[in-house]
Amino acid sequence: MAETNWRRIDIDAFDPESGRLTRKDIEPPYSSQITSQEVSSKISQLRSLASSGDSKAAVALAVSDPPYSGDEATKNEYFKAVLETLSTVRQADIAGIVGDLTPVQQDALVKYLYKGMSVPEGQRQGGILLAWFERVTQVAGVRPVSHFINDRNTV
Amino acid sequence: MLHLQPSNLLIQKTFSEALEANGSGSPLTFDRIISDFDYTNFHVSNDPENRDLLLLSVRTKAWQSILTCDNGSQGVLPYLAAKYTKLPGITVAGSAEAGFDYTLCIDLSQLTSETIVQLSLLKTNIMSYPFFLAFQEFATLSTKNPTTTTVTVGRFNEETGNVSSIDVSSTLYTIQYRDNENMFIKPSNDRITVIFETFFQDETDKVFGKVFLQEFVDARKRNRDIQSAPQVIFSTEPPLELQNHLPKGNEVGDEASKRFITFVLFPRHFANEELQFKTVSQLILFRNYFHYHIKCSKAYMHSRMRYRVDTFVKVLNRAKVDEDEDESGGSNYETKRTITGRKMVY
Amino acid sequence: MSQSLRPYLTAVRYSLEAALTLTNFSSQEVERHNRPEIEVPNTSAELLLQPMHIARSETEQVLIEPSVNSVRISLMVKQADEIEQILVHKFTIFLEQRAEAFHILRRVPIKGYSISFLITNKHTESMKTGKLVDFIIEFMEEVDKEISEMKLFLNARARFVANEYLGEFVY
Repeated sequence: MAETNWRRIDIDAFDPESGRLTRKDIEPPYSSQITSQEVSSKISQLRSLASSGDSKAAVALAVSDPPYSGDEATKNEYFKAVLETLSTVRQADIAGIVGDLTPVQQDALVKYLYKGMSVPEGQRQGGILLAWFERVTQVAGVRPVSHFINDRNTV
Repeated sequence: MLHLQPSNLLIQKTFSEALEANGSGSPLTFDRIISDFDYTNFHVSNDPENRDLLLLSVRTKAWQSILTCDNGSQGVLPYLAAKYTKLPGITVAGSAEAGFDYTLCIDLSQLTSETIVQLSLLKTNIMSYPFFLAFQEFATLSTKNPTTTTVTVGRFNEETGNVSSIDVSSTLYTIQYRDNENMFIKPSNDRITVIFETFFQDETDKVFGKVFLQEFVDARKRNRDIQSAPQVIFSTEPPLELQNHLPKGNEVGDEASKRFITFVLFPRHFANEELQFKTVSQLILFRNYFHYHIKCSKAYMHSRMRYRVDTFVKVLNRAKVDEDEDESGGSNYETKRTITGRKMVY
Repeated sequence: MSQSLRPYLTAVRYSLEAALTLTNFSSQEVERHNRPEIEVPNTSAELLLQPMHIARSETEQVLIEPSVNSVRISLMVKQADEIEQILVHKFTIFLEQRAEAFHILRRVPIKGYSISFLITNKHTESMKTGKLVDFIIEFMEEVDKEISEMKLFLNARARFVANEYLGEFVY
């Protein structure tokens, strides 16, 4: 104890009532945690849709009910599958697909776009993600972006 | 100003002044230090005994290496004497002024404008002595073993042991004209190779220098008009000509950033005395020339960035809410003004 | 404007518009302090919002970090080779030395980026938000243009200089 500068000890940190919040505290409470089995079954569903050429259904499925409650590894696995799905869609089809998504789905899509651009895998295909982003904003304006900023549900 | 001049403008001016003042009967007293590239200084002063005589002394970094480049026989002294004493009114001082390497006495009453030009070329003339030796050696080598001009570029890639058909002089003239940078001259029987060693202290200069040097190398290939210019080769390793001459071992730090630029002079570049002079004075200024242009580019970019900052600030200021507009729009309180129209401050 | 530049700038524009909703916010930690929450070592996670990455490629990115009373915007300018690296470095240093005139420019970029801006609620109160966004967008466009122009100029000058020098040897 002698080495620590006791004047500098942050006593509030030891007080559970201090009202300080960490990143963990502000995560929304989930009633149940999604398991990796559920996610992988969804991923295989996505893949089969994408390979059958029905990109519209694939994207719609990808952005509905994202595994918010999963742990990092599960989220990442799912994210890779989404990224794959998004990059297989032809440029010309993007506008139509985005237009048919519900607002909640658009919000989820924007989350995946931002996440995609924050990792090297997605940055390499920045052009595709940006094309998606442009279409979303054309349809929904700034709304999904401000939802993204404020939403504590991360993908 | 694109090209650097081999003559020193300040020397010209000083002597023209002296000449004029002397002509009008009121000689001036001089004690001037004049600087030139590569740690060269000139000193112009009156002879303490005879006011009609001016002394022009020079001190240059390269002096020591030039004095000894012909195996120590100091041939540069008679070489310079021959160049200058034939001009009217110039004599070589018996001993150089203290602190300087070489001194000339100039008799103002016999000074002509032609002589002034020659005086301003003093540095170039000193530096050209090793070139002069190289030209001479080239002449003897080429008469001994004349080759057809077909042997040209390819030779540089050959092994050193493989030069049987070509006489390369064993002498390598070195001019140590700066602290860490040297100039090497190597005559052979069909060409003279001039190698500059240079290094960049500044990281930016290094990158810019690379761009510039690369252009020197490519210029001749790209532009047909200058096909007859000397070939330029750029390397980071010492060229073959130098490998046996450079000191080895104790090289640290800046050795890594050393660059070598080789100029290959063909006989057409030094066929007569006039061409020799032009070639030599250009080559001597090579380092100054391209460092000067690197600095110029940096200066230009600086002014450009300055301009760019101004435009950015203008764009940003557009975002500012105009105070007047804000107040009149808010109209919570009226702006009170004095009779001269200034705003009242509470 | 090139094909992929437009969506890139649009994305930045929308992200900024969403992020630039700042409010005056006194520090929860220190009495009578009012500091940009994005810049201070923060113990209150609720004040920070989701950071946004916008990437055109691995070398050209924007990071927007919003918080309750400040937004930090960091640009990664494309640097294809040694010359561009030097030029970008020189240019950003030059700007940062004049940060006073820029109000929103950060004197030091955050790690990994070429240049950073910090917009606080003070700025959005005294400046029009839309024009601030315009400024950032224009800045991004101009920097790229400026760097490539300077590079072209350097090459052109080098070429001209070399030509002129060697031209002196043509008799």
